[in-house]
Amino acid sequence: MHISEGVLSAPVLVTGAALTAGGCAIGLKKLDYDRIPQVAILTSAFFVASLIHIPIGPSSVHLILNGLMGLLLGWPAFPAILIALFLQALLFQFGGITSLGVNTFNMAFPAIICFYLFAYAVKGGNNLISMGAAFACGFTAILLGSLMVAVSLVFTGNPFLGVAKVVVAAHLPVMVIEGLITLFSAGFLKKLKPELLEVVHAKR
Amino acid sequence: MPKGNPSRIDRLSRTIWSSQLLLILALLAPTSHALAHRVVLFAYVEGDTVFTESYFSDGKRCQNSRIEVFDASGNKLLEGKTDKSGEFSFKRPKPTDLRMVLTASMGHKDEYVIPAGELSKGAEGKTWQSDVHEAGKKVFQEEKRGAKGAPVGQLTRHEMEQIPSLVEDGLDKKLEPTMGIHVERPSTGVSFIRVIGGIGFIFGIMGIILYFRSRRGREKEGPLHGS
Repeated sequence: MHISEGVLSAPVLVTGAALTAGGCAIGLKKLDYDRIPQVAILTSAFFVASLIHIPIGPSSVHLILNGLMGLLLGWPAFPAILIALFLQALLFQFGGITSLGVNTFNMAFPAIICFYLFAYAVKGGNNLISMGAAFACGFTAILLGSLMVAVSLVFTGNPFLGVAKVVVAAHLPVMVIEGLITLFSAGFLKKLKPELLEVVHAKR
Repeated sequence: MPKGNPSRIDRLSRTIWSSQLLLILALLAPTSHALAHRVVLFAYVEGDTVFTESYFSDGKRCQNSRIEVFDASGNKLLEGKTDKSGEFSFKRPKPTDLRMVLTASMGHKDEYVIPAGELSKGAEGKTWQSDVHEAGKKVFQEEKRGAKGAPVGQLTRHEMEQIPSLVEDGLDKKLEPTMGIHVERPSTGVSFIRVIGGIGFIFGIMGIILYFRSRRGREKEGPLHGS
């Protein structure tokens, strides 16, 4: 879901960059000293995840992990995703430097939404609800991300529904897989390191 | 709960360990024989036809994607759509630089330029056969004219020595356009070293932030601990 250089018009690029700058400012403000290593490791995971290609479905798609980023990091997911996407653009030529702002916002904003929607439920005592919420978190983050990409492309003259259908259809396997990854990761952390999930709430 | 009041370093190392597990998990997820995500447009010339190939960086072909062709001054010459195997070809419209732009689904884009020089080279490449043919004729005629003793159809030592160089010349000419292809075919940009480099970069940033935060923290905490 990296939008390439030269696809979007200037107003879209500027809007995306401004929104990302705002998100990063909030993210850095909420970033806790103790969580910097965690942020760095999740940034690395996000950076590498785009190399894991999923050979299902009609198009070429890869893991994104923005749901997991949102769940574990909250607002600091913004600067984390920005750095990871910057490196992907620089080292792999995925996306582009000018479209960095838009791409970051497209991935990080769904992460934040999912954080607010699901983080409490994931942390909650009921195991079944917790697992369901974790799955929904990974799933929804990709779904919203796909819709954001479609929205960004509307301004280039593509009809929203057409693009949205293509992007969402292509990412259906990713949604399911990321739902499962988020489910297992959250379950694992909840059993072994529940404080990782708690830190997020303490810092809200 | 054995939670007491863990020191900062304790908490830090625990955070590191558990997050590392996540990273490993991400790395071990579905095997990645083919890698990831951008589109690549590639074009080459054969005779007077320009062939283009479009693929995602994992090797999957871009089907039914738009390709536009521009000349050196940016005028659109023609446009077309890739077929099922991501290919699209057209007759060379003009002897200028050709800039081809691929627009694939989901906001992917790439372009490829064939300079005018390469276009004419491609056209020359077709004539290698006649060149070799001519050379062969020459040798044959010389033989007919000059050779004493050597019966027609049998080769003198001098001629035998000429054959390898003739073949080599012919092959060079034939392969010239292809050599360009092997050198210039765009890479998909992903390599192990870059992945490691990127991760190192992220941890470098982390180290710098932690360094400055810890110094600032110590300055602030200094008098506090003293009292």
